[in-house]
Amino acid sequence: MTRRTVSSLAILLLAAAFVFPGKGVCAAAGEKYKRTIENYVIPDVTLVNQDGVKVRLSRLMRSKEVIMVDFIYTTCTTICPVLSAGFANFQRRMGPGPGDVRLVSISIDPDNDTPKKMKEYLKRYDAKPGWDFLTGSREDIEKVTRALDAYTPNKMSHLPLALLHSPADSRWVRIYGLIGASDLVAEYERALGR
Amino acid sequence: MKTPIVLLAGFSSLLFSFALNGPVRAAEDKPVVIAGVSRTEALRLGERMYREGILPSGGPMRAVVKGDIPVTGTAFTCLSCHLRSGLGSVEGGIVTPPTNGSYLYKPLRQLHKGIEISSAPVLRPAYTDASLADALRGGIDPSGRRLNEVMPRYLLQDNDMAILIFYLKSLSSQFSPGVSDTTLRFATVITDDVDPASRDAMIIPLEKFITYKNNQAAYYETRAGVRSARMAESMLLSPETAYKRLSLARWLLKGPPDTWRGQLEEYYRREPVFALLGGMAKNGWQPIHRFSEDNRIPCILPITDLPVISDTDWHTLYFSKGLYQEGEGAARYLNSIGAMVKGGPVLQLVRASREGRALSAGFQETWRGLGHQAPVTVTLRSGETATMDSLLKVLSGEKPSVVLLWDGPETLASLEAWASSGQRPEMVFVSSSYVGKGIWTLPDEARGFTYLTYPFRLPRDEERYTGAVESFMGMNKVQGDALIILKKVYSAVQVLSQALMDMKGNYYRDNLLDVIGTSMGAGGMDVAQDRTYPLYERFSLGPGQRYASKGCYIVQLTKGPGPELVKKSDWVIH
Repeated sequence: MTRRTVSSLAILLLAAAFVFPGKGVCAAAGEKYKRTIENYVIPDVTLVNQDGVKVRLSRLMRSKEVIMVDFIYTTCTTICPVLSAGFANFQRRMGPGPGDVRLVSISIDPDNDTPKKMKEYLKRYDAKPGWDFLTGSREDIEKVTRALDAYTPNKMSHLPLALLHSPADSRWVRIYGLIGASDLVAEYERALGR
Repeated sequence: MKTPIVLLAGFSSLLFSFALNGPVRAAEDKPVVIAGVSRTEALRLGERMYREGILPSGGPMRAVVKGDIPVTGTAFTCLSCHLRSGLGSVEGGIVTPPTNGSYLYKPLRQLHKGIEISSAPVLRPAYTDASLADALRGGIDPSGRRLNEVMPRYLLQDNDMAILIFYLKSLSSQFSPGVSDTTLRFATVITDDVDPASRDAMIIPLEKFITYKNNQAAYYETRAGVRSARMAESMLLSPETAYKRLSLARWLLKGPPDTWRGQLEEYYRREPVFALLGGMAKNGWQPIHRFSEDNRIPCILPITDLPVISDTDWHTLYFSKGLYQEGEGAARYLNSIGAMVKGGPVLQLVRASREGRALSAGFQETWRGLGHQAPVTVTLRSGETATMDSLLKVLSGEKPSVVLLWDGPETLASLEAWASSGQRPEMVFVSSSYVGKGIWTLPDEARGFTYLTYPFRLPRDEERYTGAVESFMGMNKVQGDALIILKKVYSAVQVLSQALMDMKGNYYRDNLLDVIGTSMGAGGMDVAQDRTYPLYERFSLGPGQRYASKGCYIVQLTKGPGPELVKKSDWVIH
């Protein structure tokens, strides 16, 4: 094949695309993640957890505990393993017992993610009680992801998100970017007002 | 041939690709001892580290991600992000570069569609064993650049590190069998239990596609085709794909299934192929599935109602779980309407056939998985018909509320008898696929209590796909079972066409399966993707997923002549 030379500008553009993570990993240089405060209205949908138990989402989200939500799917590469390792590690740091936090992972591949698959997934991450994985009809999942500004039509380009909600505040903390363990604990403490 | 979706996918992949010039052969052919073990053992142990996150000692690999999150290898394997081929992935804005030796052990200089950009600076010198170990442990590459923190920093002893590195050097280092400079060889397997009309309905359009692709490649090499060729080259991440020929051998299997394996091995010995494409068997795919699995040969979308059901097997990609999935759909539906089935026992009447057993297995395993007691199961032997008397005898007089009648065309006689007797279950489930077209003549009296598992998009919604498929495949007025087969062939060639582009000239079998998994992963929540494929309401995959359609409607027939199907459930029932 003939060798071809392309312009320096094109090289720079290509280099940027190849070498650096795309948008969604960090919001800006120097920031580990982007933190915003949001108002969300939770849709009245019923989802199903890893035990096959129906869960009314709006009731779950009105919990007296701090709620942490992420969006994952069981065959995901790259982002979900990091998010789930973060949740698993958070649970370990919180120690035994239910504590005052509830972790909620919501499937963005509901056609594939059955309770059985979600249960196996949680087991792989050594999840403790207090971490639920929810699936449901695609229409309901779309309602939820749109309401929480987490909707992407293509699951392969989904967002590295964690959402925190404290019973003391109607608003949500939105963390955009993959967050480390210490930062996640710090955000939790902050949500508790400690 | 198609389509905006293909073009967009190709273009977006371009932005993130790390195309290789070609394979680099691993040093071999001499006795090698790696960390005290043989070459073969090192590859086995290295593969287990890479794929399963298990150390040679049997313990889990340990690492840290995002600076301070400890992870074990079993939750977070190399394969998770770099995929089975080691050629990497793009997901959620994160680019995971290749990690095979031929990529790592040469300087990283930018490529554009497989062509080296000669004026581009070297972004990263070639790794050495020492610098690769440093990067895996400390996250710094040979240019001093810090790797993204989602890349785990592994805690590995020297011997374990040596084994992993040895494996990475072998990973996707030589093109798979069935690949030459000019041609990718495929075969399609057809068993002699398939009737000639169905066989032709599969093989004729499939061979037509191969001929079309090869004629196109030949045209690009003519003077008249130069302009088209340039356009094709500019579209493709690996321009040589435009000129690649495909060959398709017919592997016809004869006699009893237990002889198929020997026949397959002999076909393969005579002509190794890169992958199996399409194919058809009436009495189950299991021996062919096993052949693919044992020899690591991909098999793309064979036409069978009786696939192998497995959560872990890798090489065969199916349209769906077939009849098993219909049984699964019935179980999920009954579970979703819970209260209605608490009145009496659930009874399965199962014809002693492969089809009956597949439907029964799908129902029973799903039903039990949902926390219910196993149904009462009665086998219908050859010539035996289910009657209400026989049901009452089985259940000691207790009337069943739900009967699952996993039977073929004989089902109709039972339903008619129950309808006229007045003594019948509240709900009877039957498989539309197993009963066949006779279901459309079911008497009105039976329609109220008969529920069908229906694994396709409903006929009225499907109409608009037929013309497009016939037009694309250059055929017309195809009807009945032949039309279903044609639509499956269409889907198979669409999937293959997209995969050939996404492979970017990296002709490794695992890469074929990796790219199909990721490019069809778009289907998660994407309505546009739903409309790309005929027959199934939704048809998508994701990394490692092996059954593209996950749904099955539960439907009933309207009354009167020319009945329509009425949905009683979602496509995927939760």
